[in-house]
Amino acid sequence: MAQAESSAATPFETDFWKDAKLRKVWDDIVPGEPRKTLPYQLTQDAIALYCRAVGETNPLYLDEAAAKAGPYGGLIAPPAIHILLMFACTPADDWMRSPGTVNAGQSWSYNIPARPGDTITLQARALDKFIKRERLFVVHDNVFFNQHGDVICSGRGQTIRPM
Amino acid sequence: MTTANFDALKAGDTIDGPAFAVSRESIRLFCDASLDYNPLHLDDNYMKGDFGKTNFGGIIMHGMNNFGLISRMLTDWALPAGAIHRRLETRWLKPVKPGDTIRPAGTIKAKQTTAKSRWVLVDVAVQNQRGETVAAGEAMLEFPAK
Repeated sequence: MAQAESSAATPFETDFWKDAKLRKVWDDIVPGEPRKTLPYQLTQDAIALYCRAVGETNPLYLDEAAAKAGPYGGLIAPPAIHILLMFACTPADDWMRSPGTVNAGQSWSYNIPARPGDTITLQARALDKFIKRERLFVVHDNVFFNQHGDVICSGRGQTIRPM
Repeated sequence: MTTANFDALKAGDTIDGPAFAVSRESIRLFCDASLDYNPLHLDDNYMKGDFGKTNFGGIIMHGMNNFGLISRMLTDWALPAGAIHRRLETRWLKPVKPGDTIRPAGTIKAKQTTAKSRWVLVDVAVQNQRGETVAAGEAMLEFPAK
């Protein structure tokens, strides 16, 4: 199927239990320390699959001829493609994949669209961690860049870590 | 639904989003599209357990699926008017489960003109079929100065 593939040689591991022991728990996470990331080549197939999952139908994302005549002069990805990029640009031992990680909220700022064929890189880190009502929180911060060094989007969010 | 025209927009104007039927299949498709295979979204046995004081009782939809639907609503509204979706902040209030139907909506909150551009702030929310708000937040759209 048209599943997104990491540009790393190994296929994406969909069993998030497999590398669970390698991942940092809340105690290990050091705010300020960069996360390991991987460059990822965004494909039109991956964009189309994301569009299907959320019902996006805008021709700017899906119809090359229409997109060429549009404001961006070619196909672009929807802004929220960072949902995919977050996992595509991080390795299997990244703590965002720990089973039971609960997303508590996110904010994202958009600069320029990602495009099919872009090689996208991520700079990411935990910014803060705290305990609230017996739950373990980590604040993360992420910036995605294209191959020209332009910022695509930046975001921060909070997750509740598995106990 | 109000038209995306900066001069005409006023606080309280609304933006309608698309209804989205949540199913085990839609959640699985979102796993494949996002590469987020957290067992929260896949494994009913795992979800029988407790998460702190919370028990979800079965798989739940990705919170970011809400985010994607809100983003879709905003771009579908803004792009034809030449406006740009610049920011979205959301928090999740209730879990969404297979069988639910959710729908995002927006309400214009304020307009702001800055040195180089024009901005519209939008309160956004996603409700389920029972009228419960499952996600809420705020968005910022840019209407480039003519």
